[in-house]
This record gives sequence, structure tokens and C-alpha cells, in this order.
Amino acid sequence: MKLLKSIVLATATCATATSAMAQTNVVWWDFFVGGDGQRMKALISQFNEEHPDINIDATSSEWGVPFYTRVRTASAVGQGPDMVSYHLSRVPLALSEGILTPISDSDLEHAGLARTDFYERSIEAASDDEGTLYAVPFDIHSIILYYNKSYLEGSEYLDEEGNLTGIESLDDLNAALALAQDNGSRTPLSYQTGGPGGIWRIFHTLLSQQGGTLIEDGEVLPGDNFDKAVRAIAIMQDWGDNDYQPEHAEYEASVALFTSGRSAFFINGVWEVPTLVDMQEAGTLSFEWGAIKVPTLLEEDAIWADSHAFAIPIQGSEEMSAEKREAVMTVIGWMENHSLDWAAAGHIPAYLPTAESEEFAQMEPNATYASLADNAVYDARSTIAGVASPVYDAALNVIAPAIHGFLEPEQAAEQMRQELQALLD
Amino acid sequence: MAMITNRRKHIVVAMTLIAPFVFIFALVFLYPTVQMIGLSFTNAPLIGSGEWVGLDNYRRLLSDNLFYTSLKNNGYFVLLTVVPTTVIALAIALAVNRLSGRMQALVLAIFFLPYILPVSVVTQIWAWMLDFQFGILQPLLEWMTGRPVAVFNHPGWVMPTVAAITIWWTNGFNILLFIAGLRNISSDLYEAAALDGASRRQLFMKITWPLLWPVTALVLTLQLILQLKLFDQVYLLSGGGPFNSSYVLLMMVYREAFQLNNGGYASAVALVLFVLIMVVSVLQFQLLRIGGRK
Repeated sequence: MKLLKSIVLATATCATATSAMAQTNVVWWDFFVGGDGQRMKALISQFNEEHPDINIDATSSEWGVPFYTRVRTASAVGQGPDMVSYHLSRVPLALSEGILTPISDSDLEHAGLARTDFYERSIEAASDDEGTLYAVPFDIHSIILYYNKSYLEGSEYLDEEGNLTGIESLDDLNAALALAQDNGSRTPLSYQTGGPGGIWRIFHTLLSQQGGTLIEDGEVLPGDNFDKAVRAIAIMQDWGDNDYQPEHAEYEASVALFTSGRSAFFINGVWEVPTLVDMQEAGTLSFEWGAIKVPTLLEEDAIWADSHAFAIPIQGSEEMSAEKREAVMTVIGWMENHSLDWAAAGHIPAYLPTAESEEFAQMEPNATYASLADNAVYDARSTIAGVASPVYDAALNVIAPAIHGFLEPEQAAEQMRQELQALLD
Repeated sequence: MAMITNRRKHIVVAMTLIAPFVFIFALVFLYPTVQMIGLSFTNAPLIGSGEWVGLDNYRRLLSDNLFYTSLKNNGYFVLLTVVPTTVIALAIALAVNRLSGRMQALVLAIFFLPYILPVSVVTQIWAWMLDFQFGILQPLLEWMTGRPVAVFNHPGWVMPTVAAITIWWTNGFNILLFIAGLRNISSDLYEAAALDGASRRQLFMKITWPLLWPVTALVLTLQLILQLKLFDQVYLLSGGGPFNSSYVLLMMVYREAFQLNNGGYASAVALVLFVLIMVVSVLQFQLLRIGGRK
């Protein structure tokens, strides 16, 4: 009890001491947990050390509907944070909710940034239809193809340096999967088949590689996009029929299947790179691994992608003070300038001075797949798309049963079209 | 005259005593409910007000396929839980009632234990036990069906599994109600009947069952209300899938309100569910009472 008292007292004294220094407090909410979370916490504490006049007061919670609901409800009544992390795929919904404030060019100037400092696609995704910017992109993250070299040794799929090569079509990939299966890999292609994220990202990639889009002008899968969706689902179903992919693998299980050496290939986000790097350093990984950008399996070079970004939410009916806003922009500018540290979490910096730097070019395996930023295809710009949206739910609700054989690909695509269309009308 | 003042005093005292409750009830239930009813006639987003659209939300609801799917699933879940959980609770209560002293307390505590667990813990436990890759119950399912079953991803398995978990979780409370009911039945009745040579079956059919009927009716009604409000378990275990085979009305409310920012439409769905629960439970309770009087 005494201890508790002294702690409370000490905290109170600290609190008065800091406020006496006229420090600007920036309330920060993010959804970075796990490996991302550790790296972000390190960046935040480094920032706080370097800036006696600004203090970031950070809170992290799991991403998903609860996070975004909390941001929206708190901001709407003026109890929200000063800045938030945001997925760019979620910007269209945020715009319809009106909870983000526009980021002007002079804001960017305060941060020492300019629109041209970022990948064009990420700026497009962060803006509304008129081109007003609502978020500052921080990274581009996508799915990549991880591989376990031990199942491919001596085959044509490894080049002289032991890197994956020769996968230029769906047939190539399927042949490599068959080979790995013969070499003893029980589920040669692991990905999250029992959850929305993994299924959606691969479906969207396969759809985009045929030049298809999910939503065009308020119509779900119009014209031949429907057939393209059917084909994408059929490809995934086929991987199931051949026992290439695991059945109903939850996220953690899909990672474990690869890290334990059971799966020869693994399609997942760049964010699992640190897991493998750490395991390799700790000596708990029993095989050599590599990662490349997801090959062009179908007609076009395209890969699902999303971005983490920073945004400034509204403060209820109040305006944020100019001083506070400057402090927030200082934080954002500093983060962009230190985005190389963030890239260590597997991401590709959205900030070009970092993405094009010498240091990033040296960073492996990021440099191997960094070119995917040029073929990144964000989720359809729609209020029902983006992370934790009904589109993601549909992936689990409709595509997952199809790839496990409960629905025909046509039925699944039709059900998806009907359901999502009903939400748009 | 004295009587009247006394009566008045009584009323004043009574009013003072119930005032705090009425105030809080009005503040956190009545007022939001009225607001919600109003909201259901607008196109309001989750936060802020919207425009009056009359019955549009209700019209939309009637042409929404998901509404009928959800309604059907709600009904299916009620069938799977309400009567089974009551029967199981009664059976367990009768068995526990035969024990005495500490033994009875211990067994009762064991049956009651799951009820005190929060839903997130319950679903975590069962999700792991039934996990497709690592679940400890999968060998059992494999023995029963010949292969492992991803229960929450299988359209045929998902609702019965959620129902079984729900019964396991909530049954303790029903057992408690039945025990209380059983203790209320005077042992004189059993002794008298036994003297007259009544068999065990007769004792149950002629004494226990009719005298316990008010409790049974209560349990059935409480269960009906509770199970119609199904949300947490499906949200945490199956997300409403696969292909909506476990989608229920409250999930629709959640999706419309929090995912799609349609406060008005969500209120309409919520109100329909509210009316449905009210009508069905009142109807059921009345029917059961009439049934009991016979």
C-alpha cells in the first residue's frame, strides 16, 4: 500500500514537472502489435528522447473493426487522439464518415515533406477523388512468396546462388508445388486458408493479374470481371484439391506450417519477414529460406497491396490548435525520415528518399521484392472494401467454403456479387 | 382518515424507493430505446443525425436476403438450445438434488463453474479444443466421422457446435433455478405419496413435474430470450460463416452499425429483433402458463 502510494505520488510529481516544461502532448493511437509494435515503440521512444518539447503518448490496440470504431466514435465527440495510424484501403470509408482532416501542402511543409516524396499510387490511395490528401503514407506492404530451399535443392527452381527462379506462370508454380510435394512437403503451399486476410489478398492478386477489379462504378464484378473472379477461386480450389494448401489454416497455423519446415512455399505479408529473420538468428529455423515478390502467375503483373499511413482525425466540433497540428506534423515528418527502421519490419517505405536510398537497397530480403511497389494494386476504392470491411468478411464467408469444396467457384462468385451489391445499393 | 394518510405515506415511501431505479432505467434504457426507434426511421450514420426516410429502412429489410437467412438461423439456434438446455438442466438438477451436504455443494459448484467464465474465455477454450490442426477433440471427431472436421467452417456443424458450447456455458444457471424449485417442494408430499405406494415415476409425474412447472416455464422463457440474442459466440467462433450459415440478426446490427456506418438501418434491424423477442417470449410464457394450469 505504501509502495502504491509512493508510485502515485511520484507519477503525479512527474506529471506536474513535465507540464511545467510547456511540452506539447501528442496523443497517438495505432494498431501496431507484435513485431511491428516493437519497432514502432522503439521509434516512438527515440522520438521522445530527441524532442524535449513534444511528447508522444501512444496507445496500441489490435487492428480491425474495434480499432476503427473506437477512432470514429471518440473523434466524433472530441475525445479522440491527435493522430492515428490508418490503412489506406480504409480511406474511402473514412471519407464517407468525415472523420479525417485534410492534410494541406503547408502541413506537409511543416513536416519537411512534399507529395512528390511518395509513391504516386500511395498518394492516390490517400486522397479523395478531387485529390485532397487525407493521410500521409508510411509504407507499402504486400504479400510475398516465401520459399524453403531444402525442398527445391538440385531442381531447376534454384539458380546457382540458391535463389528461387523460373516461376513465370501458374503452371510453373504448380509444377514446383508438385515437385515439393514429391520431396516430402505435406502442404507445399501454406497461406491463411481459414481466415479473411490471407484468402482475400491472394484472391485479389489473382483477380488483378487477369486485369479484373472487384468493384467498378458502384457495380460488383461487372461484365467479365465475374468470370475472372470465378477463375481466381477455381485456381485456389484446385490447390486445395491437389492437397497443396492446408485446410482451414488459421493465421498462426499457416505461419507455423512454414516455419516448422512442413511447407515448401508460403504466401503471406511482408510483415512476417522479421519472424523468419529472428528465428534464423536464434538458430531455431531448420532450413534456408528466401522471399521474392509474388510472381506473375496470370496475364498481368499485379499484386495486392495496402499501406500504413498517418492521419489526423477530427476533434469533435473543435479545431486542433495550430501549435498542436505543427507538433503532429513534426512527428510525421520525423517518422518518415526514420522509415528505414520501419522497413526492418519487412515493409517497403512509402517515402521515396528512404525507398531509393543506398541503405534500403542493401536491406534483404526487402530489396528483392521492393519492385512490387510499382505493381501494387490497392483494394477497390469503395466504402465496403478495405481492411476489416465486408469485402474481407466475404472472403472468409464465401471464398473459404469454395476453396474447401463446399461451393462451386461460380456459386461463390455469384453469392459474393449479390451480397456485396446489396450493401452498395 | 388515518388509513388514508397512512396510505399516502406508503405511496410516498414507495415512490422514493423506486425513484433511483426508475431514473436510471429511464436514462440508460428508456431514453436510448426511444432514440433508437426514432433513428430507425432515418438514414443516420453511426454518429450524428440523419434525414427522415419514413419506412424505407423497414422496406429494405424485407427485401434483404441476409435478414431471412439470419432469421432462419436464429430460429434454428433456438430449436437447438432452448428445450435441450432445459431438459439437461432438469436432469442434472434432479441428480444433484439426491446428493446432500458438501457433496451437493461441490457438484453444484462444478456445474456452475462454466457460467462465471466470460464469453471470450469460453470461446477461446473451445476454439482451441476444436482447432482443426491441433484440437484435442479432433481425434474424437475423426473417430465419429472418419476424418477431422473444421467445425466452425462446416455449414452443417457450425450451429450445433455453437449450440453445444452455449449449453455447456450457460447451463449452470438453469440448474440453480431448478434446484431452488425442487427445494420448494415439500417433502411431506413425497412421503405421503410413498405411503400410498407411488412409484418413482409416479412421484416425478404427479408431484415433481407439475409443482416444478412454474420454474420450467421461467427457464424456457429466459432461455428463449437469451438465445435469440445470440451474438458473441458466433462473432468469436465463426464470424457468421461459412456462407452465412451461422449469421444471426445481431450480427447484422453490428455490421450495419459499426462496419458500414448505417446507424438508421441498424436501428431498424435492432428494433425488429426487439419486437420479435418481446412477442415470442410473451406468447411463449402465456402458452406455458395455460399449459401448466391444465
